[in-house]
Amino acid sequence: MTLRTIAARSLLATLLWACPSLAQIDSARARRHWSFQPLSAPAPPEVRQPRWVHTPVDRFVLAQLEAKMLRPAPEADRRTLLRRVTFDLTGLPPTPAEVEAFLKDTSPEAWRRVVTRLLDSPHYGERWGRHWLDLVRYAETDGHEFDVDKPNVHRYRDYVVRAFNDDLPYNRFVLEHLAGDQLDPRPVETVNQPPLATAFYWLGEVINTPVDSVQSMADRVDNQIDVIGKTFLGLTVACARCHDHKFDPIPTADYYSLAGFLHSSRLRQAVVDAPGHEQAIASLAQRLGRRPGPSRPLAHTFPPDFTVYEDFTSPAAGRWKFTGTAFEIRDGVLTSGGITAGLRGAAISKMFEIPQRYIHMRVAGKAEIKLVVDEYQNKTWAFTSGDQYLWRTIDARMVKHRNAYFQVTDLLGDGHIEVDAIVFSDQAKPPAIEASPALFPSLGITPAMPESVFALTATDGEPVNTKIHLRGNHKTLGSEVPRQFLSVLAGSAQQPVTEGSGRLELARRLTDPENPLLARVMVNRIWKHHFGHGLVRTPDNFGLTGDRPTHPALLDWLARRFIDSGWSVKSLHRLILDSAAYRMSSTASPAALAADPDNKLLHRGPIRRLEAEAIRDNLLAVAGVLDRTVYGPPVPVYVSPFMDGDARGKPKPGPLDGANRRSIYINVRRNYLPDSLTVFDFPQPISTIGNRNVSAVPSQSLFLMNNEFVSQQAGRWAARIASLPGGTAIQVNRMYLEAFAREPRPAELAEAKAFLASGATLQDYAHVLMCSTEFHFIR
Amino acid sequence: MTGATISRRRLLWRAANGFAGLAFTALAAEDTKTNPLAPRRPHFEGRARSVIFLYMDGGPSQMDTFDPKPRLDQDHGKPLPMKIPTTQFNDNGNIMRSPWEFRRHGQSGIPVSSLFPHVAGCVDDLAIVRSMVADHSEHTAANYLLHTGFGQQGRPSMGAWAIYGLGVESRNLPGFVVLDSGVIPAGGMDNFGSGFLPASYQGTLFRRGPVPVANVERREASAAEQERKLQLLRRLNQGLTDRMGAATEIDAMAANFELAFRMQSAVPELNDLGKESPATRALYGLDDKATEAFGRQCLLARRLVERGVRFVQCLTPPVRGVDRWDQHGKLFQGHTGNALAVDKPIAGLLKDLKSRGLLNQTLVIWGGEFGRTPMSQGQDGRDHNPFGYTMWLAGGGVRGGVIHGATDEFGYYAVENPVHIHDLHATMLHLLGMNHKQLTFRYGGRDMRLTDVHGEIVRSILL
Repeated sequence: MTLRTIAARSLLATLLWACPSLAQIDSARARRHWSFQPLSAPAPPEVRQPRWVHTPVDRFVLAQLEAKMLRPAPEADRRTLLRRVTFDLTGLPPTPAEVEAFLKDTSPEAWRRVVTRLLDSPHYGERWGRHWLDLVRYAETDGHEFDVDKPNVHRYRDYVVRAFNDDLPYNRFVLEHLAGDQLDPRPVETVNQPPLATAFYWLGEVINTPVDSVQSMADRVDNQIDVIGKTFLGLTVACARCHDHKFDPIPTADYYSLAGFLHSSRLRQAVVDAPGHEQAIASLAQRLGRRPGPSRPLAHTFPPDFTVYEDFTSPAAGRWKFTGTAFEIRDGVLTSGGITAGLRGAAISKMFEIPQRYIHMRVAGKAEIKLVVDEYQNKTWAFTSGDQYLWRTIDARMVKHRNAYFQVTDLLGDGHIEVDAIVFSDQAKPPAIEASPALFPSLGITPAMPESVFALTATDGEPVNTKIHLRGNHKTLGSEVPRQFLSVLAGSAQQPVTEGSGRLELARRLTDPENPLLARVMVNRIWKHHFGHGLVRTPDNFGLTGDRPTHPALLDWLARRFIDSGWSVKSLHRLILDSAAYRMSSTASPAALAADPDNKLLHRGPIRRLEAEAIRDNLLAVAGVLDRTVYGPPVPVYVSPFMDGDARGKPKPGPLDGANRRSIYINVRRNYLPDSLTVFDFPQPISTIGNRNVSAVPSQSLFLMNNEFVSQQAGRWAARIASLPGGTAIQVNRMYLEAFAREPRPAELAEAKAFLASGATLQDYAHVLMCSTEFHFIR
Repeated sequence: MTGATISRRRLLWRAANGFAGLAFTALAAEDTKTNPLAPRRPHFEGRARSVIFLYMDGGPSQMDTFDPKPRLDQDHGKPLPMKIPTTQFNDNGNIMRSPWEFRRHGQSGIPVSSLFPHVAGCVDDLAIVRSMVADHSEHTAANYLLHTGFGQQGRPSMGAWAIYGLGVESRNLPGFVVLDSGVIPAGGMDNFGSGFLPASYQGTLFRRGPVPVANVERREASAAEQERKLQLLRRLNQGLTDRMGAATEIDAMAANFELAFRMQSAVPELNDLGKESPATRALYGLDDKATEAFGRQCLLARRLVERGVRFVQCLTPPVRGVDRWDQHGKLFQGHTGNALAVDKPIAGLLKDLKSRGLLNQTLVIWGGEFGRTPMSQGQDGRDHNPFGYTMWLAGGGVRGGVIHGATDEFGYYAVENPVHIHDLHATMLHLLGMNHKQLTFRYGGRDMRLTDVHGEIVRSILL
């Protein structure tokens, strides 16, 4: 079945069945909207000035300019081009040596060599990975009141950076996002990559103590649908939560069809070791052998006012799933220390309804237990009970009668945990049963084991279909809808999905090459980051309320080439960067400016302010202190005296200079976003942001003029330059090369000399250069 | 620079002393052709020019302040004879009487509890809404609803909407200022964020102390030294324009350095209360340790409004030994301390605004994210209650000495003329001269509003 057999008649039937009040939109007309149509196969048009054309891309651009009697701007000079393409691909400035090499390379291959060098740089993935993180509202904490950490979520960030660096085919990238937990392994070093991608489901805000958890769940799913719809499809599907989409052919039934996939999925911290790595750990463990355990009494006896949830001494125990190598149930306990404390893993209980107010657990050892309520990991207890079993009691008053499960996690290389009983009661006092030493007491020395990697992932829960929430209200339910893909893209011939959560099948339908939106939307995003605007200027909205493409044929031509290249993002960059269009100067002729003030016809190159991360990274790079380490755990955010959030979530402050790491590695705390980034429009991680705001406000100038971080970099830069041999002229020359990829003009050099002779220091001078518009704009 | 390349905007700026455009935002989504912060014509002539929101963090109790409930005295200690919804802590006790007495005040004879003796003296200026309704029983979501009209992170704050609609009249100060004494509400800075609106609309937090905003203190030893650097910067920036032609985005950044330079002196000038008379200082309670913190915030609020700042929010001050208004226990102690800290300063603000002729053009709003329950929580506290509670408005086109709406005899649910937070927002925008249905911003394919798809103006409290 092809997805695009969108039979008009059957869709209408679907719509009418789903929603009686469809009179609002003309659905047949809506379905004829350009973005739902199959990709066309346009031939690059004929042009009158073929000499300007480098690649077919230019024919599309030039044809539209010629139709308006406009000329493209001339090619920018080589220094400008190098600065432009270096920031575009890596988010960093070209070094003086790179400038010199490019200027010296007069061969026709010089440009391609530069592009290849930059695409091969590991910093390429950091730059383009960060663009992607904007789409999936990437953050490393839950936000809301306590801003709790999302453990291990930086694994997702590294996954994305690596995927761009490795040029992972985009359709595969999307497949892994939606169902990476269900795909064959794709190991990189010791880590199996695909499950890492599924963290994107859980990157949203989490309410710490929801009063109405059903509502909170519905809100979380709504955010997931919003992100999925906008990121992969450029569709505002979430608009159909309360009513049929007012403009696009997305009935509210489709929204709840998608919601079913999400309600059938669970968040899980899971071990994501590559199969070979897992095997290596297992065989090491095997060699160590199992630690002998003493025999224990069979079954405890609990007083009658306790409800036994789990008595591990009873043979009935066993409702637990394990991830990693550490956990097992043996000799009457759930333990992660049966072989050695060096193993890591987690044990996850079955879902249950919390029946009573108090939960008592008898625990020995050191690790942590989470109570995951309504799929919200909103309570964590860390235990260090030592070698005696101790009762630990949770007051679950706030979450009584909610659905929950336990997750016992041992992430420690030198710790282990044992649980032998879990019971409920109405009283705070735990049951009095015989004391017991730990079955597997801690050992003095733990043999080092290879580390298992934990990551935030998705996994299948109980498959459920969702009922339509009338007017978006979870308290007024309508009819149940099957789990399936958007009808406008899949047609009504699609079969409901029933197996598991169905995410894998959803992923297959969404990445079907017949879905015209997947390629169009991604191609547009790549174009946007090279030209400042997309060919569709609303990159997250290809629906009826979005902008129409300025160059529809070019968009489809690029989308086809993208698919034909095996969804290679790097090939797409080459295709775009090789064009004459990309290399135009940003200076426009008055005639072109008057005729096309918004540059929709692409008569000139773009003028762009650097994004927040590039501004900060550029300051560090020019200062000469940038730490170019790729990947790894986040650097704690610097908390300035002016960063105020809820004090309850206030983190331990990190260093002012962020340890000189690139901005992508700074801890993204929802309630404490780094002010050096937010001042330049770093987005709040709420939902998909394909177009960041680009504001120009005085607080930015104040930041550059007076902020301690900027001053620090100016000082470091000046100190380094001052140590160079030679006089002022040579020093200023070097500074211009580092900051602007060019040499100073005679007048500029004279100004510099006069400034420095007037009593100002080299640091003052460095500071002024770092404030200048040329420092922050790409032309 | 050649004449042909001078941008239109640059010409406009120069024509207006160079200062008319406070800032410029190049929206990626929509290349705005005008300065987004320039004063803008309202939809119609509004009564209010500015808003001061006295935010009572944590949720003051309505039945202990402005909504007397004799039934609580009668039935004290008995179970509440009605359905009790799930509360935040679900530790619900029996009916609890108010520990404070209510007395009638002013010509209107409106009852106010003994918690607010000074505000009681201004009761003829207040429109007391006893039937507020919100949606959430939990602080963070409730705060987002109160501030942004939506119970989740990420929507623009009402102050951001106000300056989005009307622009900024102050030349050297931000248009939306939040005055803090050390207690940031649950939900954090997103309560004052610009959400999907451009960042230039977000609230600026002014902290207590000599340096209220970040980066406003120059690092150079003298203004002359900084000015020398600025001169070189101007030449560098001009050089780029000369070589590559003018561009509005780049011009805007260059111009912002000039404004930033002026803000460095405007902010300390604002913050210097030394020129206020001893009588004024006493009126706000600056001479008393108990009232000094909030008194300072209220006096700064007046000074900000005088300087054309559109929206000022005063956050609840910290009070020694007690939490903000969130009294889940020890209601008497907590509410006594919190009321003492704000009562005199609020009355001082109302009287001062009135005597300066500013009250009629300044809308003052008082209240929290929800109210509290008529039954006790634990021994001596009250839990959250969004189903019926009290806020009041004054000045800016609001009738004084009126009561609007009512809760049931226990004070739990709004039963008469309920006023939802959306209605409060609609009313506020109306008083500022804006139709809340027309104040929209296209985001994610929708024309977003502060009031979402809701909002009724509370006309009966308007002049």
